[in-house]
Amino acid sequence: MDEIEQTEVEQNDVIDVGYTDVPGTMLTDSNAICDFIKKTKVQDVLNWGRKNSLWFMVNAMGCCGVELLATGMAHYDTDRFGIIPRNSPRHADVLIISGYVTKKYLPALKRIWDQMPAPKWVICFGDCAISGGPFYESYSTHQNVDEVFPVDVFVPGCPPRCEALIQGFVELQKKIEAKKDKGTDY
Amino acid sequence: MDANSIISSLTGKFPEDIYDADIESDIRVIAKVKPENVVEVCRYLKEDLSFGHLCCEFGADYPDRNEIEVIYVIGSYDHPVVLTMKAILPRDAPEVESVVPVYWNANWYERETYELFGVKYLNHPNLKPLVLPQEMLGEWPLRKDYEGFPNKTARNLV
Repeated sequence: MDEIEQTEVEQNDVIDVGYTDVPGTMLTDSNAICDFIKKTKVQDVLNWGRKNSLWFMVNAMGCCGVELLATGMAHYDTDRFGIIPRNSPRHADVLIISGYVTKKYLPALKRIWDQMPAPKWVICFGDCAISGGPFYESYSTHQNVDEVFPVDVFVPGCPPRCEALIQGFVELQKKIEAKKDKGTDY
Repeated sequence: MDANSIISSLTGKFPEDIYDADIESDIRVIAKVKPENVVEVCRYLKEDLSFGHLCCEFGADYPDRNEIEVIYVIGSYDHPVVLTMKAILPRDAPEVESVVPVYWNANWYERETYELFGVKYLNHPNLKPLVLPQEMLGEWPLRKDYEGFPNKTARNLV
């Protein structure tokens, strides 16, 4: 049994632990309070807060990862948008796929995605992440990553500049403000 | 030692095993080696000729000649010469002795060549999968007759 299967088994154990036996507790599939809030103006305030604190996961996967790292440096000062690099997926809101996704790497990337707490968004950064780039017909590249992850913003380029990534974040902020993003169920 | 003396030393020590030795330029020597005695030749190169640096080891597939070449690129810190040594194996059953006892860094090179070309290394200490995902093992994807490429272009490709 490899590591990923083991994690899934552990997660299932947590689910099956039987909290329903505890008196006074109740498990529901959906959160009724969240569903109610989504219909009110409170969601606008929540989205205002979310769009201004897009912490991204530092997950440099290919040569675009160098631009990803440079974006988080002091020169571009992304803190003014609330964009802060985080090293743990449990702190992050945005997963940036910054390179070709090989068949071997895809389970690890899915695992990072599962570790991130919702609401969470994905940005495809660079040609390789969007379509495979020069490796689109390779034996090891997983084509069409957007079938696996709910991608909100595509940033083309080989590699894109740091400014392009900041532009992508701004577009993501616009989508969150307009309630058109895929990270939240409306 | 320059390129000429390296070739004469190699062919003098192993007249049976080294053939087609040639000088490509002042700093590149190319030679072919019998796959049975690769380890002895490498040990002689390392211990007596001070070729202490295995730069890389990889394979090449030639389906029309029905051969798989295993190529050793060996450099030296003492002579300004890089030696390219080729061992020619049959394509249906490529087997060659591992050079890990001589050059320890050949360990991962041979694991990768085994996965991508199917060259079986005898007496390798740890011949287990390195780069390929579990479901692709045994497909030898870098051979020329590999068919498993995706036959459609990516949907997002503009």
